[in-house]
Amino acid sequence: MSKHLIETSGLTVYYGRHRGILNVDLNVEQGEVFGFLGPNGAGKTTTQRVLLDIIRPTSGKATIFGLDCQTQGVEIRQRIGYLPGELALYKNMKASQFFKMYEFLREQNGSKGYWRELAKRLDLDTSRKIGNFSRGNKQKVGIVAAFMNRPDLLILDEPTGGLDPLVQQTVLEMVREAKADGRTIFFSSHILPEVQAVADRVGIIRDGQLVTTQRVEEMMAQHVTRLSLGFAELPPAAAFQFAGVTELSRGERDVLLEVQDNLPQVLAVAAENNIQHIETMNVSLEDIFLTYYGKGNGGNHV
Amino acid sequence: MFRLLWQELVFRRNAIIGWSLGLCFFPIVYIAIYPSVADQMAGLADLEIYKAMGMSLGTFPDWVGSILIIFMPLVAAIYGIINGTGTLAGEEEDGRLEMIVTLPQPRWQIVTAKAIALTISSLIMFLVVSIVSVFVFQAIQSQVETDMMAMDLFTAVLMAWPLVFAMGMLSMFLAAFCANRRFASIIAAAILVVSYFGNNLAASTTALEPFEPFFLFNYLDASGTAVIEGQATGDMLVLLAVGLVSFALALFFFQRRDLTVGLWPWQRARVS
Repeated sequence: MSKHLIETSGLTVYYGRHRGILNVDLNVEQGEVFGFLGPNGAGKTTTQRVLLDIIRPTSGKATIFGLDCQTQGVEIRQRIGYLPGELALYKNMKASQFFKMYEFLREQNGSKGYWRELAKRLDLDTSRKIGNFSRGNKQKVGIVAAFMNRPDLLILDEPTGGLDPLVQQTVLEMVREAKADGRTIFFSSHILPEVQAVADRVGIIRDGQLVTTQRVEEMMAQHVTRLSLGFAELPPAAAFQFAGVTELSRGERDVLLEVQDNLPQVLAVAAENNIQHIETMNVSLEDIFLTYYGKGNGGNHV
Repeated sequence: MFRLLWQELVFRRNAIIGWSLGLCFFPIVYIAIYPSVADQMAGLADLEIYKAMGMSLGTFPDWVGSILIIFMPLVAAIYGIINGTGTLAGEEEDGRLEMIVTLPQPRWQIVTAKAIALTISSLIMFLVVSIVSVFVFQAIQSQVETDMMAMDLFTAVLMAWPLVFAMGMLSMFLAAFCANRRFASIIAAAILVVSYFGNNLAASTTALEPFEPFFLFNYLDASGTAVIEGQATGDMLVLLAVGLVSFALALFFFQRRDLTVGLWPWQRARVS
């Protein structure tokens, strides 16, 4: 039996001749928040749909809770809450009717009526018909539906899409609380600050292939530091030509550097040239993400 | 599965009411007006155009067969097509199916619940039309010269239901196979129309005789005799078998294929 909560090995999906995902080897641990990053079409939704047995893999295997996603999907889905990326709901139903129906269909005995609490928290008027809702309110319906059975695993596809910033924060708070309860959250997003805010680990998928999986802090520590150095008199143009150091820009009195290696040498040169001001700039997950997707990698920019 | 079945029936309640009322138009209008048109109809009994439409108008049972036993199922089959294609391909296209298939239920139960709901809903419609037909018949019985009993009419209408069952399940199979509602609807409608006209024309054109077994309407006898004595058991079994085989195929294809990706069958990758 697998020791990981979610485990995929060599997971490949082809839609005819079109690539969905290629050899995705992914592990998600019990109780963690895993952010799955990638631009549109990278394979995030395909991976999630394979986990839910909506799509069958061309090759490879996926397990959740140690159970095979294809052959034991029913047992798995009993313990999962899912928010699809392209949410479609019953327009003629009131939100409250939808939640009652969903509760009924899930044969949900525990947490019965929990949707009321969630809807209140998200400021969702459940007495209105879903067809009259804005996109954001429809998204709230999907979020409540995903959380309402207090699942062991939440699979959320772009959970904050269409939500206003305040509600986005509430949703992220709900994710943190679920994690605090020991539950696992696997969510895809291309809104990087929210991933950085809640995820323990991230996986970056590009052109259907998992490029990297790392803890957020490790990923950020391993990557570039940006330094803005201020001088009374600028050092010569070639002063910072070290391996792993890129001079991004040069002003009248300051130099902006991206440093991946040889930081002591950079600081030594700066000291020799009577540095007057030094500023370390935070590198966001977005910057790291772009190193995988942009800057000559031939990938898609987000 | 019973919860899903119940929910499917709840979803269909408006359709059941609407279609039942609509189908009741046939007995309410056509049975009720028979006493006033009976003489004229007897005169039209031998016209080729009516034969081509599968109509025989000589007696009251002939009239009932031509109107209720042919046209009513023909219209009701449209419900089967709309529902059969809408319940899988329609929900898949508009995205609602994703919420259903991620429930803790196996796919076969989802298809089965939807198929049973379609079956029950069409049966309810036929029951309503049968009952209304009996009431209308009893209201005009004294004005009509016929040996037909009210119970004959009741069973004659109900016995037309297997054709709608067959069309509904056939539509469901097409929807499960193609994942494209429009395409599945067009194919199902074409089968219905070709089946209807092909069967009628086969009666007067020898060239079409070899194809008669392939026309669903070949297994629905609209003669006055069949109205009184009932449909042939073998014919009813053929229609039920077409429905059941179609249902089995719907199960098979829905069970195996990728959902929500909207690919044509030939575009799909082989499942490992």
